[in-house]
Formats: sequence, C-alpha cells, structure tokens
Amino acid sequence: NRSARTFLYPASSPVGNMAAARRHRLVAASQPGFLPLKADLDGSGQTTGRRKRVNKNKKKNWNKYSDIQDVEEFLDDVRLQERAAGGLIADKPDDSLFFVDTGNQKSVPEPGGVGKKGRNSKPLRIDLILQPDSRIAPPKDVLAHQRPNAKKERRIAQKAEKLAAMGVLPRRQKLLRRPPAAPSVKEKPVTSKDPERNFYDLWSAGGPETADLYYLEQTKKKLVKRPEKLNEKPSVLPAVEVIAPGGSYNPDFFSHQALLLEAHEVEVQKLKAEERLQRKLAINKADVATEMSTFKEQIEGLVEEEEEPNPEAEQVADAVDESVGSAAQREKKTEKQRKKEKAERMKELQKKAERKMIDSRQQLFKLRSISADVKEMAQRTRRRRVQRKARQEAQKSLPRRLGKLKFQAPDLDIQLSDEIPGSLRTLKPEGSILKDRFKSLQKRNLIEPRERAKFKRKHKLKYVEKRAFREIK
Amino acid sequence: MGGLQKKKYESGSATNYISRNKARKKLSLSLADFRRLCILKGIYPHEPKHKKKVNKGSTAQKTFYLLKDIRFLLHEPIVGKFREYKIFVRKLRKAYGKGEWGGVEKLRENKPAYKLDHIVKERYPTFVDALRDVDDALSMCFLFSTFARTGKCHVETIQLCRRLSVEWMNYIVASRSLRKIFLSIKGIYYQAEVLGQTITWLVPYQFAHDHPTDVDYRVMATFTEFYTTLLGFVNFRLYQTLNLVYPPKLDGKGETDHLMQSLAAFHWVLFFSLQPQDDMEKMEAREKAQQEQDRQKKLFEGLKFFLNREVPRESLAFVLRCFGAQVSWDKSLCIGSTYDVTDETVTHHIVDRPSLDKQYMNRYYIQPQWVYDSVNAKMLLPVEDYFLGVTLPPHLSPFVEEKDGDYVPPERLKLLALQRGERPEQDEEEDEEEDEEEEEDDDDDNDDGEEEEEEAEEEVKLKNMEEKRTQGKVRVTPGKAKQENRQRLEQEEKAEEKRLAIMMMKKKDKYLYDKIMFGKKRKVREANKMAAKRKALDEASKSDRKKKLKK
Repeated sequence: NRSARTFLYPASSPVGNMAAARRHRLVAASQPGFLPLKADLDGSGQTTGRRKRVNKNKKKNWNKYSDIQDVEEFLDDVRLQERAAGGLIADKPDDSLFFVDTGNQKSVPEPGGVGKKGRNSKPLRIDLILQPDSRIAPPKDVLAHQRPNAKKERRIAQKAEKLAAMGVLPRRQKLLRRPPAAPSVKEKPVTSKDPERNFYDLWSAGGPETADLYYLEQTKKKLVKRPEKLNEKPSVLPAVEVIAPGGSYNPDFFSHQALLLEAHEVEVQKLKAEERLQRKLAINKADVATEMSTFKEQIEGLVEEEEEPNPEAEQVADAVDESVGSAAQREKKTEKQRKKEKAERMKELQKKAERKMIDSRQQLFKLRSISADVKEMAQRTRRRRVQRKARQEAQKSLPRRLGKLKFQAPDLDIQLSDEIPGSLRTLKPEGSILKDRFKSLQKRNLIEPRERAKFKRKHKLKYVEKRAFREIK
Repeated sequence: MGGLQKKKYESGSATNYISRNKARKKLSLSLADFRRLCILKGIYPHEPKHKKKVNKGSTAQKTFYLLKDIRFLLHEPIVGKFREYKIFVRKLRKAYGKGEWGGVEKLRENKPAYKLDHIVKERYPTFVDALRDVDDALSMCFLFSTFARTGKCHVETIQLCRRLSVEWMNYIVASRSLRKIFLSIKGIYYQAEVLGQTITWLVPYQFAHDHPTDVDYRVMATFTEFYTTLLGFVNFRLYQTLNLVYPPKLDGKGETDHLMQSLAAFHWVLFFSLQPQDDMEKMEAREKAQQEQDRQKKLFEGLKFFLNREVPRESLAFVLRCFGAQVSWDKSLCIGSTYDVTDETVTHHIVDRPSLDKQYMNRYYIQPQWVYDSVNAKMLLPVEDYFLGVTLPPHLSPFVEEKDGDYVPPERLKLLALQRGERPEQDEEEDEEEDEEEEEDDDDDNDDGEEEEEEAEEEVKLKNMEEKRTQGKVRVTPGKAKQENRQRLEQEEKAEEKRLAIMMMKKKDKYLYDKIMFGKKRKVREANKMAAKRKALDEASKSDRKKKLKK
C-alpha cells in the first residue's frame, strides 16, 4: 500500500528545486497568519494580510498558483527508494530489512582478495566510482530480441546480390566512395560597393513587368509604381555649373576683373550689413541720461510752481470746466432738436441721391477719361503679373528653404592678380571640389542644409579638486 | 457642436505633407538610415507654399516631405536590409564584447548586403534618362577616385570609382566624343557629346588636398554609392553601343594584373566583341559614318607627342588620344609608354619648364595649353605663341557664348579670325587647312552632289598648291577671293532688305525700334570703351617691357 509514505527528506534534484521552492514559499506565504522569516521592518501587516485573488480556472495560472510540492516530494521519495534499495521499502519482505540481533558473533570473512604482499588491498576509488550506484536494472534492449525470420533474411540477401550485380552500391559504400567535400567556398553576397562587381544591361533585361499581372499580384512580386511627381527634378539648375571665364588658370584680363568685382561686391555687402547693424545699435550721445536730467526727473512735481506756469494752468482749468459744463447740459434732447436732426439727415440723403443721378449722367461725357483709367489699371495689373511671373521664375532657381538652416552660398573661388600662375605647373588649385559638390547638392534642393551635431552632455561634468591641491591654499 | 463640422488642419495641404521625424518614425528607421534611404530613392524634402497651414498654425522651420512619397518608401525592400544591418551591428558588438571570436567570424561572413539595381531601373526607366543624370555621377566618381586611401572612407568605394572613371574615359577615347575643355583654378571641366546628350563633368587636379570639415561625408558616400551603380550600368550600355566587351579588355595585351593602369594609359585599342555576320549593312553604314567624321575628330591625327614629367599626364594623354594622336612619356612615370624621348619621329614635345637643356631638331617644344586651346578652337593653333618661356595667351572659356554687342576679348577675335582662315601670314596652317578641307570636300562630294563650281575651284586650288610647292612663294588663291565676293554680295543684299523694311515700318513701331537700337548701340559703345582700355593697357605694358629691356 503506497499510501503509507515513508518520508525521507533527500537532497532533491536541483532542476526542480528552485521552482518548487518558490512555489512552496508562495503557497506558504499566502496562508493566513504565516509569519515570514524576514519580517518587514515597518511592520506593514496590511500587505501580508492582503491575499491576491487569483482565477485558478485560467491556463496561465495553473502553473503559477497551484502547488504540487507534496506530489513532487512523494515521487522523489519513491525514486530514491528504488535507486537505493531496489524497490519500495514497503513492498520488501521483513527479512531483507530487519534482523534479530541475537548477539552471536559470526566470524565474517573479510572481503577483498589477498593482494600484494598478502595485505588486503582496497578496491581502487576509480573502480568504485565506475560501478553502477543505482539498484535499478538497466532497461531491456528490445531490438536485441527482435530477429528477422530466415525467410526475410534470405530475401534481403537476394536483393542485395541483385543490386550488386546491377552495379548499384549500398548506401554506405556510396558514401565512402564520394569524393571528400571541397572546403565550401561561401558565395559572398554581391554588395553595391564591391570594386569587382559585374554590371549587365539593365534597360533591356525583361523585368517583372513582362510577367502576367495576376501572377505577380498573387506571388506578391508586383513592384509598386513610382509616383509621377518623383520624376521631376527639384531644381532647374544644371548639375555641373561651369565657373565664369575669369576662373581660368590663365584668365583674360577683363573677365578676371569682372570676377574680382563680383567677389568684391559680396564683401561690400557683408561690410554694409555689419555697418547697418552697428548704426542701428548706436545710441545718441544726447539721449544718455546725465546726473542733471535724472535729478530733474526725480524732483518733478515736488517743487512749487513759479509765476509763469500759472496762466497756463488756469487756461487748462477753464477748458476742463467748459467741457464738463457741456457734458452736464447735453442730457436730454428735445423733440425739436430731434426733428431738426432728422430733417437735416433727410436733406443730406436727398442731396446725395441727386448728386449720384447727376454723376451717372455726367459719366457719359467722361467716357474718354474713364476708358483711360481702365486702360491704366489693366496695364498696371499686366505689369504686376509679368513681374510676379518673373519673380516666380527667379524663385525657381533659388535654393528653397528646406529646414531650420538657410542655404549659405559658397565663397567664390578666385585667385588674386598676384596669385595667378604663369603656367600649369605653378598652379595652386583653389577651393575644394568636395565642398563645391556638397553645396551644389544643397543648392539644387537635393539635401537640406545641416550643421554638424554638437556633442551634448547628458549629465554635467563634476570637477573635484585633488586633496593635494586643496591643501595648497 | 455636431460631428460633421469641418475641423482645421484635417484636410488639404496639412495632410499632404509630413514632417521628417514623423516620416522617420513611420518607417521605424534611425535618422541616418532615413537620410540614406531618401538619397538612394531620390526622395527630396519639399517646401510647402503655405507653411503655416502645413505646420498647423506654427511658423517654425521644419523639413517636410510629401506623404505620398513616404508611403511609397514603405514598399521598398532595402528598408528591411537596413533593419537587418542594425541587428547585425548589435550582435557583432555583443560578440566582440564577450570575446567570442568564432561568433564574430561567423557574423562577419554573413553580413547583410543589398543591391541598388532595382532602384536605378526604377528611377531611370530608359537609358536616355540615365544619361541626362550622369554628369553629376561622373563628377562624384572622379572626385572620389582622387581621395587618399587612408581608410577614412571605404577603400573599396575609391577603387570602384577609379575603375568606373577609367572605363568612362576609355569610352570617350574610343568614341571620340570630347568637345570642350576648360582649365580652371578649381579643376578641369570637360564636355562631351554622347548619344546626343551634352555631358559636362569636373575633374580635380591630381594634387593632394586636405578635406574641409563641414562636409557631411556620410551623405557624400551615399550619393557615391548610388552614382557608382548608375555609372556602371551606363558604362555597360555605352560599351555595348560601340560593340566593345565590358568589362574592358585590351587587345593584344597579355598581362591583366595591371589592367587598370594599362587602361589608364589609353594606349591600346579596346577589344571589340565579335560582330555577327548578318550585320554587313550596319557595318557599311558605320564605316560611312566614320568617313564623314568631322575635321575635329581627327585633329591630332598623325602627330606624335611626348609628355615631359611635370605636365599632367593623365589629362593630356586622355585629350590627345581622344583626337587621334600618339602619346608617350617617360618609362619611370607609368606603364604604357611606347616610345622614348629619344625617338626621332616625335613631332611635339610638351614641356612646362621655363627652359630645357637638350633640345631635338624635328620637334616643337610647347606648353600644355596649346593642346587645350587647339581642342577648343577645333583647329591646330600656331605653335609660336606656346613656345617655352613665352607668355601664354589667356586660356579662354569655351563655355561662354557671346551675344552681339558684348565685349569680346581680342584673343577670341583672333581665334575667330583664325577659324575663318583669314590669316595670310601663316601659310603652313593654311595649307593644312586646305588639305583637310579638300579631304572633307572630296568625301562630301560623293554624298552631296551640289556645287560644280566648288569642284572647279578645287581643281584650281590643287593647281595652285602644286605651283606653290614648286615655287615656294606666297600667293593669295583665287578660290578664296571668290568666296569672299559671294559672302559680301549676300551681306549687301541682306542689308538692303533690312533698310527697306525699316523704311516701311509704322511710326509707332519705328519709335520702339529706335529705342531698341539705342540700347544696343550703348552696349557696343561700352565694348569699344573696354577695347580701348585694353589697348592702352597693352601699350603701357609694352613700354614697361621696353624700359626694362633698356635697363
């Protein structure tokens, strides 16, 4: 009867140990009134009292919240008994487990053969280690019991003979005869940067477009169509702009002067901008506050007025009184006044209407000047339209504002008159083509102007003085 | 109120644009990856017309992209590759940190890579579109091929750029499509005409330069990555049109380990692929087309050049070979020098020093500007102006087109005059011109079947040539005079017609016309003023020189 469990507390296998222990702890901790070993210093009894309500019907929670420690322990115990004693101890007969101690001393022959020099030689430790230490019998080799019957074996032999006669080798021989596999040279995937890469005719090769549309759709090989707008160039400027004739290594005098003039204009503009800035920021010397002016400001109104300011003050007072008086009188309008005002208004309206009638009649005679006016307006709009169109065209060739930074035009590459070489050998190239290409890409709106990203520190650096320095005062 | 009212910023331009950060988050890429993707796919930020509307009332400067473009980007397969690369970097860093060198090796072997072929095909659906954009690609490739191989930018990129630029130059040499060259203080500008497209590119000088710090290298590297792919495909296609094998092989040259350098020598003829036999008609047509080549394409034909050490070898070799010359240089400079300096048949020796010790008899010693100026003038210029130690005439830009009334430098006038052939003092050049003209006319006569008068004139010319050769005197040929007469007659007729038209104008139109002419004349007056100034300057310099000599 296996219900009588004899518990031996072994060192259980380390595999299930941790999970089992965790489960054990969880279950134990969830029992009410359980005092954990590491009691919280705060003594928060609220957290321990609060047990998490868990739905045990969910598959996720079967593993988490169910405790099978007892079953595991029992099974471990059973396994230990089988290993150590060869079977369940409960099933063993009493004789094998117990003996009655009668006190007789039987001379038990000493185990171990007589070894060298007659002394008892203990078995080697390594031999002991290699002995099987479990009483469980090794499993039976089922295949060893399976033997094909003679008929089958004969048939197999005949087939092998036939194949050998035909020349077909059994698999093992074939594998042996196979040439040793050459060290597999892995095909390097062709990258786009490989200097030895092969090119082919890209524009004549039949691509996926030639295949059936339905097939392509079903196999998900259909290429997405490129939007039409992407085929337009973002700028009308040519890709490579040739430098002005003054930029030749041996330039003609006037073209060189023209180029120098351009560069000069750029510098002049820069200077002007700086000067303008200085001018705007300049302060008038007279506006600077002096001690006198600040003093006067401070004592304003505190000192008693003299004779001259008085009549002015009186005039001001009278005007104020008058306005106050008129405001007080204007309280109620009489009927008369209202009727008068209404009559005036009607008269005004009538006059206006009459005037309008006369004007519209007179306009007939003004036709010529009116047409002149209209013509002038039309001309003005036409001129403005032309200007606007010209401005738009000019805008097209300018670099667009594509981001935070504005496009900075590159400096003109020029060489001053004394730097112009006499010959190709003494020429010192001006400017860098890398920069020129980069700026050209920005000018043509292919990339946005960006500045180098600055190195931002996440945390401020801490500077600490070494003790030696601190001591030096 | 009710829910059907229209709310602000929910439709219209506010929903057509998306800010950069939002776009980046939509694609779940880092900023660097996002920029790289935009550059590769050709998606550029837009400036909306009404920024306030798009920015939902705020006027802060933001970068905006079209929402449709970003949605299009979502379907791009290389976005997945970017994300894989990010994961690869993370794993690699972990393996390095843990010291797992085996893992590092394995990861390195399986590095994720991507190709840009489908993007090129998508951005340039036809070959002509790609040709239009190739000058930007060329400038970038040439620029990167001059970088030092220090490792600051991938050495493979530099090698690939060098290979592509050499292939391109070989194509230009084989197709003889170079037209204009300009030596500037920045670099050398070349212009070629390829399949009807005018392509201009800029090549830096081969001197070491320090790189500016405010250039974003990652952006330039990404552009170069795309452009190298584009240029490779364009090169393949161009080689195919000439029936050449790509990647280029040299005809009759055994060793291939210095292939790049050998190609860079532009010496040997490129290997032609086998032409199918049913192309006989095409071959005939091609031969005819070749026969009708311009005088320009055979400009230096038959001349033998030798380059001294201090001249820019690659540029000069390229230009000279483009026009049919034979070039060589000192053996120690580079492989590919066919003949030595002591070769007797060298006709021109290009030197850039003030003087040279040993001078041979049969050759002209000239400065390199002669080559470039001759190419720009489309004829062989008189060599005397370019001798050693002579002050060179200014190198004019061929990219400038003068309108009437603008100031034309006197050197250019001389050039134009030379081109018209109105320089009776220089006989040898005239003879050469006449020879070439005759050849051309002979060719043309078979095709045009026009003026019999011209044939008669040529016979007269031939006679005169023979007489001249026997006598060796200077004479003005009658054929030339006849040409002038006809020209003058035509001009007179045109002038008369113009006068008649002016007389018949209405008063109002005449008023406008007078105003225009006044403006034009003003320009001419200014040009004359400039010319007078120049004259004064020349005289002043002459007198200075005389004074110096006297001293």
